[in-house]
Order: sequence, then structure tokens, then C-alpha cells
Amino acid sequence: MSLPPEYANPPLPEGINVTRTHPLADFARLLGGVAVVVVAVVGVSAVAAARLARFVPFSAEAAAVQRFERVFPEAGGGPVEPWLRDLTARIAAASRLPSGMTVTVHYVQEPTVNAFATLGGHVVMYAGLLEKLESENAVAMVLAHEVAHVKLRHPASTLGRGLVLGLALTLVSTATGSDMVGNVLGPAGLLTVLSFSRRQEREADEAAAGALATLYGHTGGAPDLFRAIEVQRTGGSPPAFLSTHPLDAERIAAVESLARARGWPTTGATRPVPPDVRAAVRRATERAAPGVVD
Amino acid sequence: MDHFNLIVFLGLLLLGYVAGRIAESRHYRSIRQREAELGDVLVFASRFPPDFRVRPQTLVGGSVVVGEDYFKSIVAALQKLVGGRLKSYETLLDRARREAVLRMKEEARQKGASMVVNVKFQTFSIPGRNPNSLRAVEVLAYGTALGPAMPRG
Amino acid sequence: MLVTSLEIIPGRRVAKHLGLVQGSTVRAKHAGKDLMASLKNIVGGELKGYTELLQEARVEATARMVKQAEAVGANAVLNVRYSTSSITQGAAELLAYGTAVVLE
Repeated sequence: MSLPPEYANPPLPEGINVTRTHPLADFARLLGGVAVVVVAVVGVSAVAAARLARFVPFSAEAAAVQRFERVFPEAGGGPVEPWLRDLTARIAAASRLPSGMTVTVHYVQEPTVNAFATLGGHVVMYAGLLEKLESENAVAMVLAHEVAHVKLRHPASTLGRGLVLGLALTLVSTATGSDMVGNVLGPAGLLTVLSFSRRQEREADEAAAGALATLYGHTGGAPDLFRAIEVQRTGGSPPAFLSTHPLDAERIAAVESLARARGWPTTGATRPVPPDVRAAVRRATERAAPGVVD
Repeated sequence: MDHFNLIVFLGLLLLGYVAGRIAESRHYRSIRQREAELGDVLVFASRFPPDFRVRPQTLVGGSVVVGEDYFKSIVAALQKLVGGRLKSYETLLDRARREAVLRMKEEARQKGASMVVNVKFQTFSIPGRNPNSLRAVEVLAYGTALGPAMPRG
Repeated sequence: MLVTSLEIIPGRRVAKHLGLVQGSTVRAKHAGKDLMASLKNIVGGELKGYTELLQEARVEATARMVKQAEAVGANAVLNVRYSTSSITQGAAELLAYGTAVVLE
């Protein structure tokens, strides 16, 4: 059947209802732009949160944590915890800890090679790390480092930063409707958080070196700590910008240059760890296979 | 490790991009080919074609559901943050519409028709797991097919 | 280019019917406006951000449809219809379609 010639369907050109852009170029531009904005916003608000967290009085922080004090395992007698607490008291004095701030050391009889400071002035020291340290000076360096974290209110500001980051990620995830986008931009924001905490570690190292110099007259013992940790790391460390602790060689160098600048001797007589403490620590670590460095 | 998430994401993205582009170009090729073949079945949105009173009429329709690929969904998510045109979904809807019209034309041709009039569209989006995300788009095209003119006499 | 939802234009005759033409666009408002709309949902009333979104979409879709009509040599689009569908939350697709004709 033939149709009257005035009925026709001439072919339509492509490209009117679609935009001719290369999808990869588009994607790169979008991702770059959005990531930059997110990192900037998150970075700024994280810094703000960290700064503000310090205005929360220490007494409030300690009170909040009091409820959870039972979480810290009991050392159950033995010479180690009293010795650590005595050393900490001396370090707190040498660090000029503000009055009202108290540091409580908890000794954990596990082979984990780690020590950390958390809210409310609580510091945890594991037997695994203690076993690696040859002198009282090295142990003092660890404790002084954690005391410095407490003095500088790092646990509180890290908490503030973490909250802001979590909030930002949730907002991005719901706004875009894709969990994966949040997961990708999360690491981008995480990078800014990591570099802050690396600065915090540097500040703590510097303050600890100062406390050590005040207590013993020299910073010897500090490099021993870093070397002990370095030996423990097997199978390569992650690249510098991805880990929270500045690499150990950098830490040794930083302490030594600070000591030179302030005129502190970098070597001197080191005090040994009391033999009964040593024996107790060795007993605790021999009970299980060695743990992993943080 | 924490980077596992990132690696999985990038892997899916790459897969989505490559497979998605292949599927899309193949679909478009098929669409263009069939548009040339079915070019003699005419479609109009108007309601008053010539001598429709002497021709048999049937309702014909064609529908298709086109799903998005992972790459498209990520690009769209970012575009939604920024606002403006969602370029990654434009091709999705274009393909779906043209495919629906082609299927309608095929049905019309099977019924011996040479013209489809009063063509209308219905678009429906199927949401994904997240109420904010899209899974697929359905387009229905329907119209009245005019059969061959009845013999006079 | 005459764009109308009429079928028959009084006083003018259709010389050529050139088939179905379509214009469509998918648009989203940026995240800030989305957030404002969510807040507005608490009190109710017109969501200006979304109204703007759909108006912009309608203008663009109509423009694209006209472009298709021009490409086939028409000087009018008759029987224009619009179809809206929401593609995920905060984004909408607007389709405008009609018959491209040459009027004399």
C-alpha cells in the first residue's frame, strides 16, 4: 500500500538528546573537582574540631572515661606496674604536666609490641614492648611520649576529628546515593587526618625528648626505642604518607637534631631496668607467640 | 587492609566502564541498523492520519528495560552532587526510547501496518538498593497501528 | 518554529508530515538545594528548587525537540506532549515529543 508522499520519516541526526563528551574525561574532571572540595571542607572542619576539642576541660574528659575504667585489665600484683607508675610520676613532673591532669599507666601482660595513650590520661603499656627495651631510659622515652600526648590533649582532638570525618562521610554517602563514593572519598579525607596525627606524633616525640633530657641529663635511650621498633618490623613498612607514625629513621633524626639545637647531650650513662621487672616481663611474653607492631 | 575497598571499587569501575561501553556501542549499532530497516514504518504523534476511517486499527507497543553499569552510576552520583545535566543517564534513556519505538514498529510491521499514529511514551525508573540510586529505566512506547487500506467496493 | 499542543492549526494546512521528534534531558539540582528541599519538607509548601529544576528541564527538552524538527526540515511541531519521570531522588527526566510538520 502506498502512502501519500507528504507522510515521511526522514532520519534524525544523532547527538541532540545525548551530550558528546568522553565519559572518562568527564569522570576525571568530576572526581577531581569533588575530591578537592571534600578534602578542603573536611580538612578545615577537622582542624576546627581538633582545636575546639582542647577546650573541653580535662576533668570532663576524665569523668566521661571513668565509667569505662574497668576495661583496663588488672596487672595483678608483681613488680612491673608499680615501677612503671613510679617512673611515670617522675616523668610527669619533668614534663611539667598541668595540675589537674593525671596520667595512669596500665601494664598489660600480653606479647603485643605497643603502647598508647587514650582519653582521660590513661596510658597502656604492653609487656611485648617492654621486653624489647634494654634500658630504663628507653622505657622512659615511651612513657614520656605518651605523657606528652596526654599533656597536648591529642586523644581528645583525635576524637573530635574522627567524629567530623564520620559525619562528612555519611553526608556524602547519602547525598550521592552511593556507598562506594563515600568509601573512595573517605581515604582522600583520611589522608588529611593521617598527616595531622603524624604531626601530633612529632610533637609528642619532641616533648618526650625534652622530658628525658630533664630527667637524665641526656637523650640517650631514645634512639634505642626507635631501633627496637624498627627491628621488629618485618616485611617492609608502608610508604611514609600512609602510616600514622613517621618512619623510625625520621624519628631518630628528628630527636637528634632537636637535641643538638637545644644543647642536650645525645649519649650518656643509661640506667638498667631492675632485674625483677625484667624477669616478670620475660615471663609474660614467653607465654605466647610475639605480637605485631602497630 | 583498608585499601581493599578502594581496589574493589576501582576494579568494578574499570569493569563497568569497559563492559558498559562495549554493550552500549553494540546496542547503538543494532539500533541504527534496525532504524534503517524499519524506516518504512512511519510513526507520528498526531491523531488524524489520512483516511483512518477505512483502515483497521490495532494498538501496538514496545517496551524495554535498560540497566545502568557501575561506571555510569558513579559518574551520575558525582554529577548529582554538583547539579546540572546528568550526561551519563542521557544515553541510557536515548537507547531505551529508541529501542522501545523500534519494538513497537516491529510489532506494527508484523500486523501488516505501514504507519503508527498517536504515539505516546511512558518512562519509569526502577530504583536500586539505595533509594537514591537507579537500577534501570523502563520505557514503553505505544500507538495505534493502521493496517492496509481495506479494498473499496 | 511553531510549537503547539494543537493538532489542527486554524487557517493553515499541513504540507508534509515529518514524523515523531523528541527532546529529552535528565537534570539534577546540586546537593545544597537538595538539602534545602529536605528541610522544606518539614513545613511543606512549594519546593522552589525542584520547581526551577523542572522548568529548566522543560526548556531544554523543548529546545532539543525543536532542534530535531529543524534537522528534518520542519517549520512547526504539532501535538506536543510532555512526560516527566523521576530518576532517583533529586533528579528528573523530562521528555517532550510531537510531530514535526511543514505548515503552509
